Amino acid sequence: MIKFHPNEEHLFHYVTGDLSPALLMMVGTHVDMCPRCQEQVRDIEAMVATKLFGQTQVPQDFSAANDSFDNDAMLQQIMAQTPTHKASDSAHNALVDELVLEGKRFKLPATLARSHHRIGEWHKLIGHMWRAPVQIGGDDVLTFIYMDKGTKVPEHTHKGREATLVVNGVFNDETAEYRDGDFVFLDGSVKHTPETRDEDCLTLAALDAPMHFTSGLSRLLNPFSSLFFK
Amino acid sequence: MQTATETQLKRKLMSSAQPDDPDHAAALLALVATEQSRQAFSELFSYFAPRLKAYATRQFGNEQTAMDLVQETMTNVWNKAHLFKPDRGSASTWIFTIARNIRFDFLRKNKHRQHDLSADELWPVLAEQNDSLDDDYALDDDLLMQQLATYCELLPKAQRTVIELIYVEGKSQQEVADALGIPLGTVKSRTRLALQKLRELIHSDD
Ligand SMILES: [Zn+2]
Repeated sequence: MIKFHPNEEHLFHYVTGDLSPALLMMVGTHVDMCPRCQEQVRDIEAMVATKLFGQTQVPQDFSAANDSFDNDAMLQQIMAQTPTHKASDSAHNALVDELVLEGKRFKLPATLARSHHRIGEWHKLIGHMWRAPVQIGGDDVLTFIYMDKGTKVPEHTHKGREATLVVNGVFNDETAEYRDGDFVFLDGSVKHTPETRDEDCLTLAALDAPMHFTSGLSRLLNPFSSLFFK
Repeated sequence: MQTATETQLKRKLMSSAQPDDPDHAAALLALVATEQSRQAFSELFSYFAPRLKAYATRQFGNEQTAMDLVQETMTNVWNKAHLFKPDRGSASTWIFTIARNIRFDFLRKNKHRQHDLSADELWPVLAEQNDSLDDDYALDDDLLMQQLATYCELLPKAQRTVIELIYVEGKSQQEVADALGIPLGTVKSRTRLALQKLRELIHSDD
C-alpha cells in the first residue's frame, strides 16, 4: 500500500508538462506504480481538456472567420496524407524493463523502462551505497541510489529540494518508513538520515542542489557531495 | 459495404450535433480511423483547430509556433485516430494529451540540449506498441498461469505457499509475512527463489 504521494500541484504540472524533467520522471514513475494517482491523473487530464476545448464559443480572434487562420488550406493539406498504421521504427526496439546491479534484478516501471537507455554506469559511493545517473537534460539531477541492507546515509540537509521515490525495497528516516512506490518530497530545511535495515532499497532521487552533510564526521563528506549530485 | 458498427456510428452521428458531445467526438474519431472519413475529420477540425490555436497562442505568444502546434496536433489526429481508445478517456482528453506532448517537445527543441527527454518517453500517447505489448503480456500471463499450476507442485512447500498467497490470492508480500508470521525478507527471498525455479522449469520446456 503506497502511503506517500506527490501532491496535487505535482500531479497537475505532470499532466501539463510543467515540472523539471527530473520531477516529471519521478512523478511519472510514481503514477506507473500507483492506481490512486493514475485515477487522479485521468481526472486532471479530463479537467484540463474541458477547460481548453469545452467552451461553446471560440474567442473571435481564433474563429475561422479570422483571416490569419487559413484553416481550409491546413485542413486540405492534412487530409492529403494517407494514414499508415505501421509502427514507427522506435517501436521495434525491445523494451528493456530490468535493471541489474550486483547480480540483483529489479523490474522497472514503464516510465523508467522507456528511458532505460538514459541510465548510466553504476558507481560505488560510500559504504554499501551505489548510484547511477539518469541523463535527461535539464538543470536538476536524476539518479538511482541503491542501498544494501543495514546502510545509513549520514545526516544531511539539502540546499535545494530533494524528491525520493522507492522503486523497490524499504528505507526509514526519523519520521517514517518508505516502501515501494512511496514518493517523498523534502525542501531545504529538512534534516534527515535515511537508512535501510533488514532489506535493501532501490530509490530514484531528484536533487536540485548538492546535499549538505550536517553531523559529526560526516561533515567530512561535504567535499564529496558532488558525488551524489553529478 | 457497411458493417454493423459503422451503421451504428452513423446513426450516432445523426442524433447529436456538436463535437463537444463526447460520444459524438468519439464516433467521429472512429470514422476517421476506420474509413478515413473526410467529413468526420473536417467536423473535428473545425471544432478543435481554433480552440487548439487559442491554447497554443497563450502558451507560445507566437502565432507561427501556435499554427505549427495546431497543424502537428491535427495531423496526428488524422493519422493516428486508430490509437484513440474510448475506454481510456474522451476524445478531447486524447487530443489535449497529443497537443501537450507536442508543446513539450517544441519547448525543448528550442534549447538544443543533449540528452533531452522527449514527450513520448514520458507520456506514450501515440505509441503503436502499447497494445501489442499489453497483448504479449496477456498471452504470456495466460500461458504462465496454465504452466504455473503444474510447476507449482514441484516447488518446496514453503515456496509454494508464498507463491499461492501472492499470485493466486493477490496478497502483498507484507500481508503474506503477517499471515505466516515470518519476516518480510524471508517472503521476498522465497518468492525470488520460487520465481527463479519456475522460470527454469518453464524454459527447460522450450
Ligand atoms: Zn500516488
